[in-house]
This record gives sequence, structure tokens and C-alpha cells, in this order.
Amino acid sequence: MAKANIVVGLEIGTSKVCVVVGELKRDGTVQILGVGEAPSVGVRKGEIVDIDNCGKCVREAIADAEDKSDVMIKNVYLGITGAHIRSFNNRGSFTLPDDREKIESADVGRVQEEARTAPIPAHNMFIHTVLQHFYVDGQDGVLNPVGMFGRKLEADFHIVHGVANRIKNSIQCLCDLDIEIEDIVFTPYAAAQAVLDQGQKNIGALMLDIGGGTTGYAMYVKGAIVQSGCVGIGGDHLTNDLSLGLRIPMGKAEMLKIKEGSCVLGNSLPGENVTLRDEHGFAGKEIEREMLNQIIHMRIRETFEFLMRELEKGPYLDYLGAGVVITGGTSALRGIKHLAEDVFQMPVQLCRAQNVSGVASAFENPQYSTAVGLVKYAQATIGDEGGGWLDWFKRWF
Amino acid sequence: MIEITRSTSHVSPTIKVVGLGGAGGNVLDRLVLDGFDAACAVAMNTDVQTLNGSVAGEKVHLGPTTSRGLGSGGDPEVGYAAAEESTDEIVAAISGAQMVFICAGLGGGTGSGAAPLVAHLARKAGAMVIVFVTLPFSFEGKRRNTQAMEALAQIEGQADLVVCFENDRMGESSSPSSGIQQAFVTTDAILSQSIRSIAGLVGQRGWVAVGLDDLAVVLRRQQARALFGYGESEGANRAHEALERALRCPLMDKGRMLAEAQAVLVHVTGGPDLTLNEVSVMMEEFNRHISDGTRINFGVTTDARHGRRLGVSILSSTGDAVVVPQSRPALQKQVVVEKKEAPPAKEQALVFEADQEPEPFEELEEPQPVKAPAKITSQTAPAKAAPAKKEEKAEQMSLEPVNRGRFDKGEPTIVDGEDLDVPTFLRKNLKVK
Repeated sequence: MAKANIVVGLEIGTSKVCVVVGELKRDGTVQILGVGEAPSVGVRKGEIVDIDNCGKCVREAIADAEDKSDVMIKNVYLGITGAHIRSFNNRGSFTLPDDREKIESADVGRVQEEARTAPIPAHNMFIHTVLQHFYVDGQDGVLNPVGMFGRKLEADFHIVHGVANRIKNSIQCLCDLDIEIEDIVFTPYAAAQAVLDQGQKNIGALMLDIGGGTTGYAMYVKGAIVQSGCVGIGGDHLTNDLSLGLRIPMGKAEMLKIKEGSCVLGNSLPGENVTLRDEHGFAGKEIEREMLNQIIHMRIRETFEFLMRELEKGPYLDYLGAGVVITGGTSALRGIKHLAEDVFQMPVQLCRAQNVSGVASAFENPQYSTAVGLVKYAQATIGDEGGGWLDWFKRWF
Repeated sequence: MIEITRSTSHVSPTIKVVGLGGAGGNVLDRLVLDGFDAACAVAMNTDVQTLNGSVAGEKVHLGPTTSRGLGSGGDPEVGYAAAEESTDEIVAAISGAQMVFICAGLGGGTGSGAAPLVAHLARKAGAMVIVFVTLPFSFEGKRRNTQAMEALAQIEGQADLVVCFENDRMGESSSPSSGIQQAFVTTDAILSQSIRSIAGLVGQRGWVAVGLDDLAVVLRRQQARALFGYGESEGANRAHEALERALRCPLMDKGRMLAEAQAVLVHVTGGPDLTLNEVSVMMEEFNRHISDGTRINFGVTTDARHGRRLGVSILSSTGDAVVVPQSRPALQKQVVVEKKEAPPAKEQALVFEADQEPEPFEELEEPQPVKAPAKITSQTAPAKAAPAKKEEKAEQMSLEPVNRGRFDKGEPTIVDGEDLDVPTFLRKNLKVK
């Protein structure tokens, strides 16, 4: 296939549908050829609630991307998210038959299969079974067991699963448009591919992707993903809070959030006001700045504290050498870094897609991290030359 | 009392359901039409016409001479006198039953007047008595509310368990445009379903059994207003759907009411193909709706008659208790230990350590402030109870009109029983200028 090295990442987000067309270079880098986007309709908290209207937005975004990149889009990597998606770690093991003592590549598949026998709710399906570590006869730190001698092969996996019907909705939406889906990817996992480099993954990092309707997280320790998930809270909630609290329309609240909002308290003068202007530029309503920030602060702090509680359930918080990396549209909120540092008690950086070249607007905007991440995910799974067993094994998804 | 039921529960206990008065009769009809065994249903009324229209297997005309078959005219005194006159018939109708369910609408004459007496007679006959009552809609006027509260106080002295539904709450569930008839039909249906569920769950032996003790834990509290939800489903995703339906029941308020509950009884019924996985998935989902401190009493029953259907009943009571420091532990202890043997009057004395006290206790139970003043005039109730009640109601009011803005129609994000779609500043009570 001539265009085998061109991949497309498609994310149906709560606020926008985003399509990133990327070319996988032979040297292992990714060049972004074009980005298409369209505001999304019929998506709530990362999940499709209106397939028809959502389909239109996707079509629009794809047409936009085709226009800009000059590529016919037929296959995509689809990002999926939603609070129904859960994850856990499980170990699979396989004991070699007596007449064989060398581990074959098929055994790796058997181990994975065994790990997948873990109980998940009946109506859920597996999204990812990501390899963490191999053990051969209990020996730790084996990178590639194929060809090694051993009796018992074990491996830890990070398993991500979600409600099948909800995932099918996203898939159906694309099927209606005659787009083929190469793979579905849990968006925090994709975003982590874009914003975290190998070094950060190795020393331990937490990636937070705060989008419009959801906040996804993925935690890496020793180079492997150990915890991931998604909460149904995002930038939309800020807008909603402001609209309800300050009694202003949603559109105004959104604008206010972007232009004036901050989650740092005590930075404004007493009695300092923000003037809300109507479309003709006339002064409309006066809003106390501290109140505006307070509403935003409370929501973001609560979300972080909730995530913190969620992460404390696992044993990994102490292993985050690289701290927290925040991306996604809402990461553009002023002061979010300080608030995150305050809650998580570790260094925080705001980040966008790394190690890509091409259309600068694509990787310079944290909104596109997930879509770029989908392309990076594709790069990792297609894995050209150095793929080996990994290549074979990842095709299992 | 617990021991006694258990020892006799090798076979399912014989049950009689008594529908008292007009409202009780309606519930009873609903129950029979829903498939409950008509032979177990006893309709009792002072009004002959209504009684004749009932589909119950057994009918008792209360007070043929007292009311001359014309009904009680909304006067509990008449209702009581009528029941007293027909004592022998009542005893005959409920004799032999190990459990007697009494349903009545409080506020009128027959239900309010006769229910305490019927409960008393049933207890004397050695049966376990569970009373289902509805409190009148507030638009029915203060007078009826007052009568209802008086009756409720008396019933609570007689019955083993009282499951109390507020018509106001249930009425909210029917759409504003639907007729008043619809509102009453809805409440009847809810009551009928809850009686069937409770009869089912204490009557059947389950893999994880639920007994009356579990029921008592859930319902025996100071502000016992029942929350009840039932859902049934079949098909691939039945566990999820059944729970969703149960939570969609009007009294559940999409599960939001559960966040405040202190104890919840969950009973799952299914056919032989009920899997452990389904149960665990359902409970996991259910756990999201309650807070960590909530005590879950859980039961599973399988019955071939269920076929592929999976049903889940959720029963709880609003227990955002005004803390009544001393009396409550004493009350609960006494109820559990003494209930069966103690004659009702003595039991009240034991519980409250003074004969006049049951009224104030009742006073505290009533969360509706509108009824408070009426109550004071009618009874010896102490004035101090009323303010406490008002305070509590005010607190509840502020929680009620929850505004979720654009997330109003979507699936709520509920974590630890907290609806995160509601603005944080509202939940944390930040005053916005």
C-alpha cells in the first residue's frame, strides 16, 4: 500500500471533532500534514448522544482535514472516551509444555489471552490490553522473552474496558460515513503518547487531559502505563457553573471563562469588576472578578482532589519522578498549573504534543494533543522496522 | 420477633393483605390485578358501594350499624367506631395469617380510624403486622393532614413496621398535565409494587436471605418516609436495565435520594440463570449512588417462576435524621427486643418512658412544616418540637431545586453519592453575589 505511512487520528470530543493527518517518517518521527476540525454537536461528556448530528460534524471535520492535507481519508484511528471506561492491572501466565523449553512468540499471545480472562462486567468489552512487564520463571525485567529459555512466562497487563454499546455508538457513527476504523484507542492513552516522552514515562509521570466534557488521566511508571481512567467533568462544567452562578447565558459564560477566567484566588483587587459586553460592545453586566475566579477555582480544585483520591487508590503516586503533565483544551486556563501543584504536591507542567513536525498549529495547541496522540499511537502499533514481536502483538487489539 | 419468624419460615408464611378504606381498597385492587393472590386479599370498608366494587377475595363491611353502609364521612371517630363494631369479622378475616399487611390511605375516616385497631387485632392474633400508609397530598388540606398524623402515631404504636409514603412526593412523579386520577393511580401502583416486593422478599428463602430484621434496620428510624424503587428487565443487559428502572422510580429521584440514606435494602430476584456476575455488576453500579457510610442489606432470591426476568427492589427511608440523642438507641433496642410480646400501650411506655410522649415523637417524624401548626393545636404536643422540624425542612428545601444547567438531561456524573454536574459552588454553599 502506497500510503501505508499516512495515518489519520480522529477524536470526537465534547466540544469539537478533530482530525489529524500525519505521515510516519522512516526516522521514527511524525510529520503532521494537516488538521481538520469542526465544533461538535450531539456529544455529551465524551459520548455520542445524537448519532446523526454528530455524523455531520465528523464529516465536516474530515472534509476540512482532507482539504488541508490533500489526503483522501479512508481509514482512521478513533479515540474514544467516557466515564464508563475502567481500567485495572492483571497478570497472565503460561507454563510451557514439557517438550519445549524455548519461548515462542505465540506464547506471548497466550499469556495475554490468559490475562484477559479477568472478570469484567458482562456488557463491557476490552479496549486495550497493554503490556507492562514480562517475567520469565519469576525473573523480572525481561524485555523480550521470545527465544529465551524458560518454563513459565508471565506478564503484567494494563487492561482497559468499557461498555460495549457505548463504544459501538462511536464506531457506528463512522461506519455511516463509510470510514474504516483501524483501531479504537482510549483517549488519555493516546494523549499520553503525544505529550509524554519516553524519559518521562520511565521515571514516572501522570498525564491529565482536561477536555471539554471529560478529564482523562494516564499514569506511567517505569515506562509502562499503570493507571488510567476518565471522569465526566471538563471545561463545559466550568461554563455551566459560571452561567448558573453569575446568571449569564452559556455563550457569555464560555467567553468569560476563556478571556477572563482564572483559577488563582486573591489575585484581583477588592471590588475589581469584569464588564461583560453585549455583541455591540456596550457594557452590559458587571461581574466581580474574585467571584468569577472563585467559581472556577472550586470546580477545578474539586476535580483535582477527586482525581487525587482516585489515584491514591493505587500505589503509584510516590513513583512520579516527572510529576504531572496537563494537556487538553482546559489546560489553557490561567493558573491551572499552580492549582494543580497545590493539590498534587508535585511539579506540574503544561504540555502539548511533542516530537512532531509539520503544521505548527497542530502540535502547538494543547487541544490537539489527543488527535496527535492517535497518530503517535498508530506509529507505535504499526511499528515499522524495529517492530518485531511488538508489532505482531499489538495487532491483537 | 426476629427469631420467631425465622423459626417458622420453613414454609413461606401465610400472608393476608388488608385494604382499609377507599385508598387502601384501591391499592388492594391494583395488587390483585397485578397478579397477587386474591384469596389473600381482604377489603375492609365502611362504604358498601366501594366495597362491592372491590376485586378482593374477602370483604368485610365495617360497622353496618354505625355508618349504615354509607362510609365514614372523613371522620376517624366514625371509622374507629365502625371497626370496633365489626371486631369479630375483622378477627375472622385475618385469623391464621402469620403476616398481615395493612394498606390504608391516611387522612380520611376509615383508613385513619380503623387502621390502628385492625393492626392491634392482627397483632393480638399473633401475626406480624406491616402497615403501608400514604399521607394525603398537601392540597387536601390541613385537617386531613392532621388526622393522618394522629393516625400514623397510633399505628406506629401497634404495627411491627410502618412503611410510610408521602403522596406529595409521589405526585411529583406524574407529569403536570396529567389528571389527578393519574396521580392517585401512580401512588397505588407504587404501593402495590412495594407490598409485592416485601411480601416476596420476606416470604421466599434466598441464597442471600433478607429477613424482617433487615427490613427493620432500613425502615426503623425517626423520619421514616419510605423510598422505594423496583425495576425489572430481561435480555442481555438486564442487570443494568433493571437497576436503572428501579432508580427511575419516582421516589428514588434517579437515585439521588439514596445519597442521604443511611441504610438501604437491595433485593435481587431472578430465574435460575441469574449469574453472580450480573449481581456484582449491578451492585457496583448501585454503589455509585450511595455514600460510603451507607449500610447495605442485600438479598438474592432465585425462583424458576421468574424465567428470564431479573428484578431488583430497593427500599430505604429518608434518614437525614434530626439527631435525637437519647431516645433513638433506646427506641431501637426496645423495638427489637420487646416488640412481639409487649402489648402496644406498654411498649410505647417502654420506648418513651412516659405515656404522653408518643405524640412528640411523632411530631418529630413529620418533615412537612405546613402540618406543624395544625398538629400543635390538635394535640398536647410540645411547642419545642415544631421549630426543630422547621429547621430540618428548611435544610431540605435548599437541596431540592438542584440546578444542573446544560447537564440537566444527560446522565449524571455521580461520585460517592454526589452529583458532580451540580456546580461545585452550589454544593459547597458559596454565596454568589
